[in-house]
Amino acid sequence: MNAATLIALPVIDPSIAHAAAAGLAAVMLTAALDKLREPEIFRDAVENYALLPAPLVPLAARALPLLELAAGLLLLPSATRAAGALLTLALLALVTGAVAINLRRGHDRIDCGCGGDQHMPLSPALLARNAVLMGVAVLAALPTAPRDMVWLDGIAIAFAALFLFGLFALTNALLRHHSRLIDLRNSR
Amino acid sequence: MNEALIASNMLLWLAVLALLVAVFALARQIGILYERIAPMGALMMDSGPKVGEAAPAFELAGMDGAPVAIGAPAAASTLLFFLSPTCPVCKKLLPIIKSVRKAEGDRLCVVLASDGEASDHRAFRQRAGLDDFPYVLSAELGMRYQVSKLPYAVLIDPQGRIRAKGLINSREQFESLFAAQELGVASVQDYLAAPQLSKEAA
Repeated sequence: MNAATLIALPVIDPSIAHAAAAGLAAVMLTAALDKLREPEIFRDAVENYALLPAPLVPLAARALPLLELAAGLLLLPSATRAAGALLTLALLALVTGAVAINLRRGHDRIDCGCGGDQHMPLSPALLARNAVLMGVAVLAALPTAPRDMVWLDGIAIAFAALFLFGLFALTNALLRHHSRLIDLRNSR
Repeated sequence: MNEALIASNMLLWLAVLALLVAVFALARQIGILYERIAPMGALMMDSGPKVGEAAPAFELAGMDGAPVAIGAPAAASTLLFFLSPTCPVCKKLLPIIKSVRKAEGDRLCVVLASDGEASDHRAFRQRAGLDDFPYVLSAELGMRYQVSKLPYAVLIDPQGRIRAKGLINSREQFESLFAAQELGVASVQDYLAAPQLSKEAA
């Protein structure tokens, strides 16, 4: 560990980086598979964001899930983890920017296109969710301090990754419910 | 000491994950509650003309110039389907509508309705292969039927009465409209609330 790297980037414990990368990989892979399963729905969602000229929409709708898949796979081996984390960070920044622009335009009824067959509208909570994911991506991209890993680390990493993924699924469920709650309130 | 810490650490992890599973299960249960309260089958909104009443009559010009009559006594039932080019679920339902129209043949006339820029709709109509459907653009039609969410469908019988209506999100909800017509109930919610069902359950 030399002084230069300490100044440039903070060094974190390897177990945190491993857990962040594994949890994030699960998030990206499920997001990519959800979108690849229903390509038409995702293409319409991209169209509804109204940010791209029409000829580019099918291309972007094809490329985005594949990039997510690549990011998720790159996050898994330690050797390519930093690259995967940076790609994840870039993708998250891109889609979060798109959500923020449409929220500012007042287009908060369109579907976020996050995958899954239930409607999830755009909301500030979605921005918060993505900001947390970006924080996790930064953790996965940081260099790690060399340390001997013991068996307990393995268990902690597996549990923490599982926890991160569970928390993500829970957040999505609550975001979907929130839109139904608003509908219900407005229908009375 | 070390062993005690390891043991307590493991116990805490298990406790945290168990709590997460519990919260997730609660969220799922809340989701099921929402489903029971609201969209079960085609969701009926308590606004606009009621099921069983005469449908508000409209005489509109379709996008290809042909006149389209809605709500007037006719030879076939009319399915009024409200959609928009910017609604992904509407597009998902289009193949289902095409197959329903094919299955019902002469007994059903499907009319697509929307509002907004005619040029957008013309492009959408061509892209989605809807050229042989009557397609009307009228903000007044949507307002009269109190359509607040898309995709929305209204089934009108040959006598010009509304037989079923509601918000449609899936093939099942679509079919529930026709089931509602056959059973003579306004919506699946009404069917569930009907006394005959509670007798069956008892």
